[in-house]
Amino acid sequence: MAIEILPDERALRIGRRERALAQMEAHDLDVLVLGRQANVRYFSGAPQLWVAGTRPFGPICTVVRSTGEIHLNSTWDEGIPDDIPHHHLYGLAWNPMTLIEVLKGIEGAASARRVGTDALTPSFARLLPMAFPKAELVDGELAMRAARRIKTPDEVAVLRGALRVAEDALAIAVGELRNGITEQTLAGVLFEAEAAGGVSTPATQDAAWVTSREHPWRRARRDGRVENGDLVAFSAGVLADGYVGEVGRTWPVGDVEGSAIPALYGRWKTLWDRLAAACQPGQPASDLLAAYVAANEPLPPMPVAHGLGLGFDPPVVTPELRATAAQEILEPGMVLSVTGYVWQEGVGAVFGREAVLVAPDGPEVLTHSPSWISRAGVGIG
Amino acid sequence: MTTSLTAVTSARDIPDLPDRARMYRESGTRLRAAMADNGVDALILLGNGNVVYATGASWPLLDAGLSHVERPVALVLADDEHPHLFMPFREGAAAESEIPSDHLHGPLFLEFDEGVDHFARVLSKLIPAGATVAVDELTGAMRRAADRLFPGGPPSDAAPVVGAAKLVKTPDQIACIRKACRITEEAVVDVQKALAPGVRQIDLSAQFVRRAFELGATANMLEAIWQVMPVTKAAGTWTTHGDLALPLLTTERELAAGDVLWTDVSITYTGFCSDFGRTWLVGDTPSARQQDQFHQWRDILDAVLKVTKAGVTSGDLARAAIAANRGQKPWLPHFYLGHSIGTNAAEMPMIGTDLGEEFDDNFVFPAGMVLVLEPVVFHDGTGGYRSEEIVVITENGYVSLTDYPYTPYGD
Repeated sequence: MAIEILPDERALRIGRRERALAQMEAHDLDVLVLGRQANVRYFSGAPQLWVAGTRPFGPICTVVRSTGEIHLNSTWDEGIPDDIPHHHLYGLAWNPMTLIEVLKGIEGAASARRVGTDALTPSFARLLPMAFPKAELVDGELAMRAARRIKTPDEVAVLRGALRVAEDALAIAVGELRNGITEQTLAGVLFEAEAAGGVSTPATQDAAWVTSREHPWRRARRDGRVENGDLVAFSAGVLADGYVGEVGRTWPVGDVEGSAIPALYGRWKTLWDRLAAACQPGQPASDLLAAYVAANEPLPPMPVAHGLGLGFDPPVVTPELRATAAQEILEPGMVLSVTGYVWQEGVGAVFGREAVLVAPDGPEVLTHSPSWISRAGVGIG
Repeated sequence: MTTSLTAVTSARDIPDLPDRARMYRESGTRLRAAMADNGVDALILLGNGNVVYATGASWPLLDAGLSHVERPVALVLADDEHPHLFMPFREGAAAESEIPSDHLHGPLFLEFDEGVDHFARVLSKLIPAGATVAVDELTGAMRRAADRLFPGGPPSDAAPVVGAAKLVKTPDQIACIRKACRITEEAVVDVQKALAPGVRQIDLSAQFVRRAFELGATANMLEAIWQVMPVTKAAGTWTTHGDLALPLLTTERELAAGDVLWTDVSITYTGFCSDFGRTWLVGDTPSARQQDQFHQWRDILDAVLKVTKAGVTSGDLARAAIAANRGQKPWLPHFYLGHSIGTNAAEMPMIGTDLGEEFDDNFVFPAGMVLVLEPVVFHDGTGGYRSEEIVVITENGYVSLTDYPYTPYGD
């Protein structure tokens, strides 16, 4: 973050646009009407106001393939790249018909044959044909997903920056871990550190929690108070320069006695080695599910992996999407957020999340946060 | 639309903390009544705010870029007092819920054909043949499987149905909003104390989130805004309408003495939003002109509040505001004089927008509606004045939820 709001660097913007325009061609789309924050940023390169959670579909960014022109819903030009001229900006509107009138006026709208949208509401399904009278309305998210799944080198550079902010914040929150502190205070420390690092837009807000000794994933106690002997999980996720950086670690509270906690970290390390090895180009994403089976660990309640980029990117690796994961072949340039999770009754859980770049010659782990297992000299975690 | 089961007529009617079981029951009753009014038998909800409303579930929200993949989904049936909730587990999510276990399900992945195939099988068991279905969002995979998901034909839009239910807040929902506001205001007290030349905008954001989470916020809802106002409109950022830009994003810029800040922050408490906005002055006391402008703003707010009660329309409030502002609209062209609030930071009605005067004149306020009023005034050379005030509409007037001073402009 700087002292002024700037558009994404030109090389980053152009590299992404070329990928997306190629996918528009491959998917035979004349026009894309985008509402999702990540897609809008991918094409426009303009930062937007961050609001948590899902947002209903609306025509925020419209791209015409034949001209490459971008029309953007922005009332001002701060942070708007100079290749989107003023007359391609249209202001915030509350009446959908105002937006339909804007779309009608876009060159190429009247003659478009296939118009993709990245999501849709029944209302806009009814209204959009007024702006695109000759067009078939189709799914445009597949094209955007195909463009986004492989990161350009410029994207990987920005992702590394996002991960740094997340890792620095996580380290500060871990530094505050002690008997008697609460999950809420640890969350406050983490978000404060993210903002002090220049990022006031979290990607995730789970922050910190005491893992349960009784249940594989439920919250341990209602008041969120941390006690000696607990295993406390930390999850830092930021949206920095538009890109999601996520990292997760688990730390014990107080002196560790006995062998149960070291044994659990050892299980995590065994699992992690298999997960990392599964991030090979040419291999199916379902190898990440198989890694849990091979390590003799039950699959965790959360997805084992998802792509990192401007938000979620494919693949999402979870048992609910087993066939999809089997068909998804990892390629160089994909960046994955991979979760290792092991639980032991009477002990708690060890949760760790790393970012992994699928490089041509194998996986490169982009996250470097210290973990308890490396500190204890049991091995490198 | 049926009226509220219980009505708020004074601050005493708002519980200090929400009774979550009662809130769940009353929200469900309101939603099913709205479904009956709209002839809808089944509601499929994907939007975070709609799912919170329908199920009582609340969780630390994800960024927009992640939240459409790992998102809870609700299915509400007209003849079932409990909604079905399909809940992803992201680490550490609280598992407390009023929903019986046979209505709680694992996550859905509706971005993917495989996930939608599964959902189609689930729906075929839960939604009776011939039912009228409404949905708030269609993913690409859902559109490809529309024939199987919606064998009775294209679904209608769920937004107006949920919107009708959400319009009147129950006392417990108002308690959630007020608690969110109290957390926000308490956190902001320390932020305002730290305001000084040399402090960076982002430092204010850092301090705010720290305190808000310590005080029990469930999620940060909005990137905190501390916008430094231009000296004149002409000197400000270019806009499509030639008026002021708002909100401009926070940076690492250091604040300087005399900077006028328009602030805007929002958090959630158990799924319900706060909204806070005040105008601050960095390292200085307001000039006579700035004081006059604050008094003008206060007069506009008072004029609006004077007509505010159940039975009036959005148009009535807009006219009162314009009359008190010498014939000019005291709000920005891309925004509104006010809006409602609930599980989303801005809900209907929005007053004074491009929806038009007829829309505003037909929008009659019910008792129990919550309204955020945010008039603005801006004279070149002052930095302008903007603040937000949240009220609950009652039969005879309103109950104020905002409790924060106007320092340094007034008490």
